[in-house]
Amino acid sequence: MIVAVDVGGTFTDLVAIDDRGGLMVYKGPTTPKNPEQGVMNGLRRFGDAEAILHATTIATNALLGQMGLELPKVALITTKGFKDVIEIGRQNRPDLYDLRFRKPKPLIPREMRLEVAERTDFTGKVLTPVDPREVEEVAKKAMEMGAKSMAICFLHSYINQRNESVAYDVARKYFSYVSVSHQVSPEPREYERTSTTVVNAVLQPIVSRYLEGLEGALREVGSPKFFIMASSGGLVDSAEAKERPVQLIESGPAAGVVGVSALAKIMGERNALSFDMGGTTAKAGTVVDFNVETTQEHEVGGRVHQGRVVKGSGYPVRFPFVDLAEVSAGGGTIVWRDEGGALRVGPLSVGADPGPACYGKGGTSPTLTDGSLTMGWIPSEISEGMRLDLDLSRKALQTLGDPVEVAHMASDLASLEMSRAVRLVTVERGLDPKEFTLFAFGGAGPQYALRLAEEMEVRKVVVPPHPGLFSALGLAFANRKFEASSSYPEDLEATYRRLEERLMERFPGASFLRYADVRYEGQGWELTIPVDDTSKVRESFEERHMRTYGFTMPRAVEVVTARVFAVYPGYNVNLRAPEGGEVNVKEREVFLDDGWSKVPIYRREELREGFTLKGPAIIQEYSSTTLVRKGWNCKVHGTGSLVMEK
Amino acid sequence: MNWEVVHRATVFISEEMGVALKRSALSPNIRERMDHSCAIVDAQGRIVAQAEHIPVHLGSFKVGVSNLLNHIEREGIELQEGDTVLFNDPYISGTHLNDVGVITPIFAPSLIGYAVNKAHQVDVGGPVPGSINPNASTLYEEGFVIPPVKLMRRGEPVKEVFKMVEENFKVPYVSLGDLRAQLAANRLGVMRVKQLVEKYGAQRLQEGWDSSIDYAKEMVRRRTSSWPTGSFQAEDYLEWRDGLVKVKVTLTLGQTIVADFEGTDPQIDGPLNAVPGVTYSAVSFAVRCAVGEVPTNHGFYSSVEVKASEGSLVNPRKPAAVGGGNVETSQRVADVTFLALSKALPWIPAAAHGTMMNVMMGGTWNGRYWSYYETLGGGSGARPDGDGESAVHINMSNTLNTPIEVAERQFPLFFTRYQVRVGSGGSGKFRGGDGIVRAFKLTAPATVSLLADRFKLGPWGLAGGSPGKPGRATVNGREMPSKFTVKVNPEEEVVLETPGGGGYGIPIDAKTLTSTPDRDGK
Repeated sequence: MIVAVDVGGTFTDLVAIDDRGGLMVYKGPTTPKNPEQGVMNGLRRFGDAEAILHATTIATNALLGQMGLELPKVALITTKGFKDVIEIGRQNRPDLYDLRFRKPKPLIPREMRLEVAERTDFTGKVLTPVDPREVEEVAKKAMEMGAKSMAICFLHSYINQRNESVAYDVARKYFSYVSVSHQVSPEPREYERTSTTVVNAVLQPIVSRYLEGLEGALREVGSPKFFIMASSGGLVDSAEAKERPVQLIESGPAAGVVGVSALAKIMGERNALSFDMGGTTAKAGTVVDFNVETTQEHEVGGRVHQGRVVKGSGYPVRFPFVDLAEVSAGGGTIVWRDEGGALRVGPLSVGADPGPACYGKGGTSPTLTDGSLTMGWIPSEISEGMRLDLDLSRKALQTLGDPVEVAHMASDLASLEMSRAVRLVTVERGLDPKEFTLFAFGGAGPQYALRLAEEMEVRKVVVPPHPGLFSALGLAFANRKFEASSSYPEDLEATYRRLEERLMERFPGASFLRYADVRYEGQGWELTIPVDDTSKVRESFEERHMRTYGFTMPRAVEVVTARVFAVYPGYNVNLRAPEGGEVNVKEREVFLDDGWSKVPIYRREELREGFTLKGPAIIQEYSSTTLVRKGWNCKVHGTGSLVMEK
Repeated sequence: MNWEVVHRATVFISEEMGVALKRSALSPNIRERMDHSCAIVDAQGRIVAQAEHIPVHLGSFKVGVSNLLNHIEREGIELQEGDTVLFNDPYISGTHLNDVGVITPIFAPSLIGYAVNKAHQVDVGGPVPGSINPNASTLYEEGFVIPPVKLMRRGEPVKEVFKMVEENFKVPYVSLGDLRAQLAANRLGVMRVKQLVEKYGAQRLQEGWDSSIDYAKEMVRRRTSSWPTGSFQAEDYLEWRDGLVKVKVTLTLGQTIVADFEGTDPQIDGPLNAVPGVTYSAVSFAVRCAVGEVPTNHGFYSSVEVKASEGSLVNPRKPAAVGGGNVETSQRVADVTFLALSKALPWIPAAAHGTMMNVMMGGTWNGRYWSYYETLGGGSGARPDGDGESAVHINMSNTLNTPIEVAERQFPLFFTRYQVRVGSGGSGKFRGGDGIVRAFKLTAPATVSLLADRFKLGPWGLAGGSPGKPGRATVNGREMPSKFTVKVNPEEEVVLETPGGGGYGIPIDAKTLTSTPDRDGK
């Protein structure tokens, strides 16, 4: 048996998969101070596991200053003359018109940023060799100042690591945690490389301690093998996670997209849109030709504006990330009116406490969930013992106008906001959403899926089994994936072979995937393309460039970074539709686009494979509610997924 | 249908255009620094939505697009499906020659609007690398002037125009690529607006746009209704040769906000003249900051009016040189507008660095002409409730820096320092932010130009705060003025230090006072 564990802010979700691929699920509260407790509470129910797969938000939460995690003191050793690179950033301000804007505070204060005389030029020639004695001096100084972790980043080290390696060897004598830029992020652009290295250095002590705690607790269940989800959508082992914790930042959200890619493959859907709508945000990602799309650009701790992190508001981290766009639209997102009288949705949200007005926990702000309740989209009893108060919802919405009108318009605006997220990961990448099947999950995703599909002209929508725990399920499907990369390769084929040899030593029996970041000579942004044949790089790049920007150029093409992933395949999960039984249909008054009408209500557990129904209809289950809109037909797939088509 | 949906969707389109432009462009100035802006305007030339990129471009669209459409009508140019018009004449476009614009009409099937974008092309011809010329006394010494001409006709490139660009912009292998990226951005904008028409119909789309414009206007009215009414005056200065040039504004707050530049010095025979588009964008930028969040569309702009008499520094007669008006005078117009606003509103910060510290260089290297342009940020002014921020672009620019590792790979440059200029922020109850020190050497002989300001007068403090330290430049140890062009040999070091922001309030701590020797205010 393997167990997938997704530790989120509120809930700890576990999905156990037995040897025949059967599923068991558990949802319990997260125990923020000692997260391993919440995990063990669930694990004890399932008995011994051969492997634990884990998604965690610890890295993000640490950087956002949540969960009472204090950031460790970190020092930076860098090239003489350049210690302020991380403070200057890219010189832009995060908000054009805000007279009170703040730049993000550097993770390492100036007195802890130490310079040494050394320099390499852009060709890789060492102009000034680093003096180990000088490194020794600054390392001692950093220790005296109380540093617990050390970051090292020199100019042009991505092309020649010699000076950094010398400094690393010295620093290791004084520090148990040393992050060095040519190992963490061996690519040009000094600010992004330094920032990535620094974030890694900050996370190392925290993540190491956390993983050691979990591994300690797992001894009780026989120390199963232990893998952690990386932001790239692959699982890494705990040694790798401790060495480069920077790759765990989007661990949780990545798991959902990986789940979608696996389910899509089972169902034969080449192109899938992953749409995950929870309590505070909605996230969109894409699967193209059965592969999860990734990106290299990310800012952690930054402010999100209309789906994109505001450039300069957070700390850049350069590592492969599942390409996700996020907007502030979840069940708890607040609906309000501005001074101009315009109705607005978000970005503020009520959080789990007090929650939407209908929770009756003292919240008075109207939220999208209040709107859903007012329009009859969700039942007033969502699970045993959890009742929602319609009067409180109506009262909250009343402050903005007619409750039903406001609720309906808010749902329209939320859908538009979410379509923005979908657009970012599709049209902005040269992909047409019409060619995709939308997979909707998260607590609120299945309510909005069809409205969103109509907005984006998507014709097929899938709601997977257990939509509320789908991210945990996604872990089980994930490949174990390990990356190696090299910048400005002279001989591409030889570089790939060298990288593969290096990976082969550590990961015997793995298969390899080759990618290249390619651009026209002179461009500043690369397109990442899969490489099957190193002699055809130009062709596939130009095809992609044409698709993305609509033109090609008669000029040289260069490979900036060659990447190889060593891959072990994921576990077998046997998803099956419920046995079904007698289907009991109830009715409820529901407000849809053209007013109130009586709509049939189904229980999902009762719907067996092949069962079909026509919208408008509502399908309720433990962790979610699916809204089947008018004009859509719904059929239960063999995997238990609901498949809806126009 | 609700107009909010149309409004948001149109803003998204302009942002998407910006992403396409940046990602496919060739010059570091566009792809790394994002020195470009995109907008959607309606058939009457009113700005419906624009992506928040570079402030000086944004405000100038309002003046520029209307000049452009008037020109097109006057000249009898007929626009058809698939046409795109190229332009850079600052007296039409409203910025400077380097900002090359392209505008594409959107027919669905009749004219519904235009997609337009501007990008700072690194070199548009003229005698100096990078085109911006500290010694220019007329427009003709700042590059090649392009009146509105068709670059694309019914979807086909107009070869003669491309050829003309190729022969006049000094780094055509970069410029032509950037132009293609600009065309790609408009193509995307046109396609998206057409999709909106398919979805909502042309009439409902226009109604949605009208409502969003009315909404912005109403928002401004509400926001400013609690402001004091009346007239508020302020003066500030630019540095030219051995003297100073005065910028004076009388700001009248009421139903609309009127900035009158009566009393500002006449135009000069140097590049600091600012075309009306620049003056307008700087005033409207300052007002927009003071107003707070409103959509920056025609509704907002219709609340702001600028008066400047012809022949003055802020409304020069053609062919006065204007290359620096865009990058330096724009900063001073914003400063002086803020200073006037500070007399009415309590939340205005002290002055920021006030210069974009424009560095242009180039020459022949490895048998090819090269051109490089970058700007530097500085300290922001202290706020009434906190210190200023250091090493950042304030007011009319918001470009990114060019990474050292990118610049050294592409040009004969070798950087020696890139640090915060510690202690350069003005003192006060709250300190101004610090400027930047950036130093480099060339590995091949080159021509280096600087167009900067605030070398004599540091950025002003407010409420008793001290000014920030003025900027500084040295070449091989030689002290330089704020505007120069020199030949630099390999191994000679160029060191640039940008001004700190002004302080706010009287310092409580006496020690802070004594540790601040720089107070060379006028």
